[in-house]
Amino acid sequence: MTHQRPLGLGTHIFVPDADAAVAFYREAFGATELIRHRLPDGRVLFVELAFGPDKLLLSEEIEELGALAPGTLGGSPVMLLLELDDVDAAAERAIAAGANVEMPVAEMFWGERYGIVRDPFGHRWSLCTRREQLAPDEVARHVPADPTRATHGDAPSRP
Amino acid sequence: MTPAGFQVLLALASGHAHGYAVMGFIEQVTGGQVRLGPGTLYRTIARLVADELVTETETSDPSAPHDARRRYYQLTPLGEQTVRDEADLLARMVDAAHSAGLLSQRRTA
Repeated sequence: MTHQRPLGLGTHIFVPDADAAVAFYREAFGATELIRHRLPDGRVLFVELAFGPDKLLLSEEIEELGALAPGTLGGSPVMLLLELDDVDAAAERAIAAGANVEMPVAEMFWGERYGIVRDPFGHRWSLCTRREQLAPDEVARHVPADPTRATHGDAPSRP
Repeated sequence: MTPAGFQVLLALASGHAHGYAVMGFIEQVTGGQVRLGPGTLYRTIARLVADELVTETETSDPSAPHDARRRYYQLTPLGEQTVRDEADLLARMVDAAHSAGLLSQRRTA
């Protein structure tokens, strides 16, 4: 192979407390810890978590490396999208484990069940079914004029 | 099921219980096209163990370094069923590939 295509895409997030985060991601989303490395001072340099076939790298905040968690930065501009068979159950587990609801789980115009939670470390997760039921044309016909009214049947998606 | 996950399950089902033997089997059976590095082997087995498809056997020396290449593993009943199901699915696709004229006689024998 001579062309330079990426071999994969992963995500690397920063949290204040790796143990708490790993416990949350395991409990809420069924993540599996594969590898962990620490700095000599005990801080967790990274943990590799498997989510289905994909992986997430997670590090503790290390200010001198610019590795800052959402709480330190005052928010996160990124959404982590997680495809699941049972979105409702995952959202319930996440909430029970300390996540906040940003958008309740609902049927969306693009044909999936979908909701958004913010985890206890400030990272935003969109949880969605992996259906791929609708063709792109069908989705295009249902895009709402008002993006805050994205749930199927035009129910308001936010209170 | 990732390709590496299936390859490790297949190696264990073929009687290769030691990490190094698993790596050797995969390289040999793929004619050298697939080589699992030690990092991939470690991650793949960690995942299979967490999913209860594989267990580490008692023959492993607990004082040995925590290196998947130097340890012994076996399929659980769930792992055995999973690798059977995956092999069946792959066999269907190979049959379809054969019907499509994609395989040489040597490889379908």
